[in-house]
This record gives sequence, C-alpha cells and structure tokens, in this order.
Amino acid sequence: MKIVIAGFGTVGQGFAEVLLKRRELLVDRYGHVPAVVAVIDSRTVVRDRQGLDLSAVLACKKETGCVGTEKYTDPIKVLDSLDYNLLVEVTPTDLKTGGAGLVNITHALESGKDVITVNKGPLALQFSRLIGLAKEHGCKFRFEGSVGGAMPIINLCHENLVGERITSVRGIFNGTCNYILSKMDNGQPFDQALKEAQQMGYAETDPTNDIEGWDTAAKVVILANSVFHRNVTIRDVNITGISTITPDAIALAASHNMVIRLIGEVSDTKLEVSPRLVPRGHPLSIGGTLNVAQIDADFAGPITITGRGAGRIETASAILSDLIAIMNIRDKGEGKHA
Amino acid sequence: MMVNAELYVKDLPGQLVGSLEPISMVDGNIVGVVHDREQIINQRIRVSVTFEVASTPQLEKLKAIWKSKDIVISKMGSVYETVTMEYLILGHFSAGYVDNLIDEASNVVNFESVDVSYSSRNGNDTRRTALITAEVRSQTDQDKLDRFFSSACREGSLVYIRGL
Repeated sequence: MKIVIAGFGTVGQGFAEVLLKRRELLVDRYGHVPAVVAVIDSRTVVRDRQGLDLSAVLACKKETGCVGTEKYTDPIKVLDSLDYNLLVEVTPTDLKTGGAGLVNITHALESGKDVITVNKGPLALQFSRLIGLAKEHGCKFRFEGSVGGAMPIINLCHENLVGERITSVRGIFNGTCNYILSKMDNGQPFDQALKEAQQMGYAETDPTNDIEGWDTAAKVVILANSVFHRNVTIRDVNITGISTITPDAIALAASHNMVIRLIGEVSDTKLEVSPRLVPRGHPLSIGGTLNVAQIDADFAGPITITGRGAGRIETASAILSDLIAIMNIRDKGEGKHA
Repeated sequence: MMVNAELYVKDLPGQLVGSLEPISMVDGNIVGVVHDREQIINQRIRVSVTFEVASTPQLEKLKAIWKSKDIVISKMGSVYETVTMEYLILGHFSAGYVDNLIDEASNVVNFESVDVSYSSRNGNDTRRTALITAEVRSQTDQDKLDRFFSSACREGSLVYIRGL
C-alpha cells in the first residue's frame, strides 16, 4: 500500500509518529509497513517512490517549517504525478468552502484512490457527494477521527452496533466549549475562561467556530449522514453557541444541581447544537476537555462512550484504526487495490 | 389513560390470570400487578393492577367484562405518568413577562405543576435569568412546550436553554 499524506500540521505529524511507533504491529499483521510515498504541506512536497523516511520528514518540518524543498502551486498536479493507493487528507478544516481538503478528497476519489480524512469541512458540506464518488469508483472512504477524535463513535455505530436501530446520538463534541463551561462552573466569567482556553492551546486565536457551535454542528452533520443516512449539510443544523451564557445562568443551574453543556443532538428528526441543562452526575455532565457521546439503540439501550476529542496522537490513533480497517479489506483481496 | 384498579377475585386457580386477560382484550397495556394473598375477604383475594387503555369506552368495556366474570372492582382511579423539563431563559425581561409566558403556555399544554426561580440581579447588569421547571403529562406535551418556549424566546430576543 502506498500512502500520500496531504497536510502536515499537528494531525499529519501525529499520524507520521503513530506509523513509526506501530511498525512492528503492521509488519506482524500484514508483513509490511505501508509506504508513505509523498507528504504535502501548504507550500512544499517531498516524495520517494520507495517510501519516505518519516523521521527525516518530521525533523525537516520541525527545523525548516516545510516538509521539503520542492515547491508547488497546484496540489492536483502533485497528486496526479504520484503513484499511490490511499490519501490521508489532514489539511486544515474550512467549514465555509471545504478548502483544499474538499478538492483533494474529490480528486482522489475520482481517481479511484481510497481516502482517510479527519477534515470536517468536506464532510459537513458535501458528504453525500463524496460517499457517492467513493461508491462509484470502488474506493474506501473513512473518517472516524472527524468526530470525537480518539473516541470511536462512527465505527462503533457502523460495525459493533450494526444490527441495532440507533434512535439518537447526543453528546459533547467540542472540548474547547466544555473546558470553558467547566471553568464557568467554578465561577470564572466567560471571557476569562476563553482566554485561559486560548493560553492552554485548547482554543484558537479566532474561537468562533468552537464557541458559536459550528465545529459541533459539523460533527452532528457527519453523524446524521453517516449513522442516520440523512442527506444534510451544516446549513440544516439549528445552532446556538455558548457565548451568551452568563455566570448568572451557570449559578442558577447549579442551584438546581445542574450544569450547562453544549450538546449536539441528532436523530431521524433532530439536528441541533445548543447549550442544555444537564443534571450533575449524568454522563453528559462531564467536565474538562473530554468528549462524550450517548448512543440510544433499540436493543442495546443507551451506550455512553468518552474520550479525548482532539490532540495530535489521539486523532492520529483514529486515522490508524481507519488505515488498519482498509488494510484488512485490501489484504483479504477485496476491492481493486488488493 | 393510565388507570389503577383494585379487584377482588375468587381464591381459585386461574382467577388471577382470568382477571388480567380482559385488559388485553380491550388492547390495554399492563404496567404492574400486585397479587396480595394476605388480603382475603369473603374468600376473595385482592389484586391491584395498573394499566394503560386508550379511551374511556375501552375502560367501560373492561369494567363490563370484569363484572360478567364475577370480579369485584373495589377501587378505580386514574394515575398519570408525568414528564418534567427545565427551561432557562436569559436576557432583558421582567417577572411579569415570565408570568404571561406561562399563562400563554398553559393554553398550549396542561401543566401538572410549574415552578419559576430567578437569579438575583447582578450590579448594573439589567439582564436576568429565570429557571422554569414544568411538569406535564406526556412527551407530546413536552415537545409542544419546547416549541412554544423556543419560539417565544426567539421573538423576545432571549436566550433559551432547555434540559436534556
């Protein structure tokens, strides 16, 4: 298997590190480690038909800020010039246009390549089209890390709960908001809690996508389309963020033994992101940066999972699980890349 | 409707089942049964049963069946399951506004109970917060109430946060 990594920021580098750390596992299972034949960052590309030395690429990125010295202007021309089977697409999320990720994923699927992504933009905007392209061209298209980072919600619903009728999924899908609301539980005002989240590296300089609920909405859309087989985009989500939550509201909720959490909820009829009152002790009252999801299934009843929703290694672990799932299929001779 | 009935049936084999079968015959749903052998009056034992039937005519039909089977109905009353939901409202409003809102809501659903708490005003901040705890009789009523508060708060430019 020959892999191209598009995007070499936090998650891309994390995936390279995870591949290096799991060499033995992959050799044991498949007799070889998939070769990363190219890494593309925002300005440069580095390539080797025989497989790159990922340690050297990581070192180069750290020292120079680039993965190589070969500059490019058109990523599609770069992809067309490469011989590969699988694109790992981890460029930055753009929830308005889909950004480079949408272009790269579309092109790879149209070219018959398997794709793994954690990029929420393309999935939140054009999920149905991308799934259609994957089916049309016989490609595997996986995106576990796009919702909940290391928390295995999509594959859990698709694989372990395959015989269930899932009636609803609701949860905390944004660690930044949960950190801010947890800090407000302890008496901090919103602005101060946000600044602290930024200083800790949990919130971006422009926190709009997080605190106004857009990031959670993108995840809700991915769940709606992938788990509930709906055909919705981020524009269909009823979104309310947390920026209007006051210390008064937090205190009044606390006096009734409740906390306020930003909850994403999806079912056959609901598609919503909003702050909700949650009784203390309820699984969705969790604090800190953790993500949590409660899945309601007809036979199994409620199932709660929790985990780290972000982070370089955590998100990379989700990519690794998707990679192994694809290698399992291709290794068994199913599909055209075998 | 949810109904709780206290019956006295003959202390003979098969009588307990015989008293419950008619509930299924009127498409009722049995929620709970207590068979109390310590309460024997006139060689009859007490059976307390809670069940759900769709309408009063079905309940009347059930009572007729029980009488025809010589089952004594000693007590019968309605009981309801209730659903409780909390709503937090934030913004510029008066206590009178919330009172009116609840009055209007009572035209949409039947409240079992409503409780409102307010935050104390904070310095010069003219915003206030109200927590409404509403108990209604069904999930359908709760959904109606959700929609009512959501719409009213949107119109009043207020922030609305509901429970899970």
